[in-house]
Amino acid sequence: MSTTVLERPDAPQPPPSLTDRLFRRCGVTGLLLHRPAERLIKAHAVAATVALLIGGISAVLILLTRWQAVHLLEPVMFYRVLTAHGISMLIFFIIFFEMAVLYFAAGPLLNSRIAAPKFGWFNFGLMTVGAVLVEWMIWTGKADVLMTSYIPLRADPLYYLGIILFAVGALLVCFQFFATLVIAKREKTYEGSLPLITFGAVTAAIIAVITLLHGAATYIPTFLWSIGVMSVDPQVYRMLWWALGHSSQQINVAAMVAIWYLLGALTVGAVVLNEKISRTAFVLYILFISMASAHHLLVDPGFSSSWKVVNTSYFMYMAVLASMLHGFTVPAGVEVGQRLRGATQGLFGWIKRAPWGDPGFSSLVLSVVVFGFVGGITGVTIGTEQINIVVHNTLRVPGHFHATVVSGTAMAFMGLTYYLIPLIFRKRVAFWPLARVQPYLFAGGMLIFSIFMSFSGGFGVPRRHWDINFSNAPFEQAFHPAVDALMAVMALGGIIAAIGGGLYILITVWSVFFGKPFSDADRVPGANGIPQGLIRPPRPVVAADSANLPTGRFGAAPGTMVLVLIFLTAFAVYYFANWKLLSFVWKIG
Amino acid sequence: MSEQEHGEAPMHTGMVAPKGRWWVPAHTSEKVWFGIAFAWCMVLFAMMPLWHWKGGQNASGIRGRVEPAAFSARVDQFVADYQVGELNGFPVVEPPPGSDVYLLGRMWSWYPVLKLRKGAEYTLHLSSVDVNHGFSLYPVNINFQVVPGYDYALRIVPTEAGDFGIICNEFCGIGHHMMLGKVIVTNEDGSMPGEPAAAMETSR
Amino acid sequence: MSVVPEAGSSNEPEQMPLGQRLYDNWFLLMVAGILIMAVIYTGWGLWEIVSLPQGALP
Repeated sequence: MSTTVLERPDAPQPPPSLTDRLFRRCGVTGLLLHRPAERLIKAHAVAATVALLIGGISAVLILLTRWQAVHLLEPVMFYRVLTAHGISMLIFFIIFFEMAVLYFAAGPLLNSRIAAPKFGWFNFGLMTVGAVLVEWMIWTGKADVLMTSYIPLRADPLYYLGIILFAVGALLVCFQFFATLVIAKREKTYEGSLPLITFGAVTAAIIAVITLLHGAATYIPTFLWSIGVMSVDPQVYRMLWWALGHSSQQINVAAMVAIWYLLGALTVGAVVLNEKISRTAFVLYILFISMASAHHLLVDPGFSSSWKVVNTSYFMYMAVLASMLHGFTVPAGVEVGQRLRGATQGLFGWIKRAPWGDPGFSSLVLSVVVFGFVGGITGVTIGTEQINIVVHNTLRVPGHFHATVVSGTAMAFMGLTYYLIPLIFRKRVAFWPLARVQPYLFAGGMLIFSIFMSFSGGFGVPRRHWDINFSNAPFEQAFHPAVDALMAVMALGGIIAAIGGGLYILITVWSVFFGKPFSDADRVPGANGIPQGLIRPPRPVVAADSANLPTGRFGAAPGTMVLVLIFLTAFAVYYFANWKLLSFVWKIG
Repeated sequence: MSEQEHGEAPMHTGMVAPKGRWWVPAHTSEKVWFGIAFAWCMVLFAMMPLWHWKGGQNASGIRGRVEPAAFSARVDQFVADYQVGELNGFPVVEPPPGSDVYLLGRMWSWYPVLKLRKGAEYTLHLSSVDVNHGFSLYPVNINFQVVPGYDYALRIVPTEAGDFGIICNEFCGIGHHMMLGKVIVTNEDGSMPGEPAAAMETSR
Repeated sequence: MSVVPEAGSSNEPEQMPLGQRLYDNWFLLMVAGILIMAVIYTGWGLWEIVSLPQGALP
């Protein structure tokens, strides 16, 4: 078996003026890694993990409180920890990780140096100082306003300032990303168009710019309001905040899809069936995905139904079309990659013979499946103007987004980490048997958690609420008796997921600081702590011997065709069932 | 790299920079999926306007700005006009069918208690005098955002009689989880649900 | 933005299809993305709020 570098027939040589001090050649992928970029990638990945730890501990505390049989935290601490959970996970963890992805996609993936590395450290500093300031404000009780901080709820001015600093740092990293693209093109470090994965990162970066501009428009006036200098209308605040709050999650979607293509490539040599189709899907994201922030405002008084319908639909569901395209091209790419490597038996032989013990691969699949089937279907459904009437601010909302951003995006990020640890940190993955199991534990727990949380929300259980027994309320109100059981199962699912998440943190932190070193000589079959895609790297360019690929009506990926048709059926059933249920509700108009 | 037919061209992963022309027609199966997905998206988009036209549950309402003080005064007037009793310190208000009904959200109560009639239409005005609240009528369940400075007037028709709770599902401070209101819906003839059908006037 | 033909190649087309060139222009895509959002969500949304009438409270 070959231990040589992957065949990269046209890999450009570094300009003679650059020395080994600045670059190293990756022995597995053949990529030219800019050392300053590597250091920045590592720093952002570490910061992301710290935020994940804070968010994860908060998650367990919240879970043990919403499970009323335990009811762990007192009300003040509950709302405080809930604030910390939202900010740490949805802003700090995810955006720190995404900055690492941006640096990777523009630098090493293009065999290029990154623009202004020292400026990159300044930006990292801004983001870190901002994040620490925000966490300090939250944990000392100066920002008991939840992540959304809806005006007129007021936090300490330093809280808003911290978020502004973080956002400015992130925005500047985005500009560095684009500057790096310019450099790479000018210095001809690659030929042709950007790789698809980098194009996905471009999508994420553009959405990040849209997001952060709205963030500035939200937080700068809010900061001024908090020091008494200007007034801010509550409805305007909600509109602007969600342009930051939801669009930031669309950065996640784009980054996640880019990582799907990356993990597919690294684990099974997943191919791009058609660049035009995949890129069209990303372009649809760029143009139309951000406006769906409106789905948080569907039952707000400030907007007409026309505005609500046009915006919540991602402009006639064009961004949903994009997701459905990726939902086909990603698994189809895996299928064709597998078929080209010999897994040609029947419709689903490529699934049976897939490397399920590779945590990078299992994370990829679990991310695609849970994001699509649970997150995507519920999201489009509850994001319709009228169905939202029975959903807004119930547990169906966090039930949905834990399936998308946690089982989807975070899962994909975790899977990628198992490859980053050897490739960038040059360490073997510690606790390898546990690592192979971790994705299943995390995704399984999250699946139970999301589904049972959604069920509870279907019974009207509110989100962001300390006591659904209404102990000190003027009236009695009992939920349907099933709710207690549903919330208990939800809590159990959450605990399983928390164990999975904790395992991930333990494995990655241990590997990075105490792990065995990884070098190219270690890449032998059966090696501990090295994912199979690094031991037997799939080739990045393969002759498509047409004898290997199916040529029937269903194209080269018939298995995937069947899977997406099953997906569409599930979608239609869930979607129309919800409209039917809505019809039983009081007349409202 | 010379151009070859789609099916015979070398295939590459997403890590590779594609050279030359990659803007090529997709395989038939991909085009079919594109068409199916596009058609589904058109169905999705049609549903919302369709429900506005044909469906009974919409969020349109009559929307306007209000000063919190003005809304509060209007609520007090509403209570004075139609109060029929009291429950746990809250006035119980029974407005005539077809009229405007006013509900105030504030930290941390819904004011007043409403007594409505099954099958009758009302225009329910929602507003807050301090921060955002979440109107959540349980167990129906109907949810609307209650924003200070804005009046959200929704035409509603209760379709079932019984006792309903108004939960607050938007974080509004430390008393958020104690914020609970009440709506009582009588039968069409005014009798309380569960009582004999003969018309019974309640606590006048 | 046409691709400069590589020296020595004889059958490379001089210009890539318009769609490909458009997709390769990330700056244009960014401008379009920002503009569409600014108009359809933010601009229209602000207009909606600002043009709300005074509630009659009948």
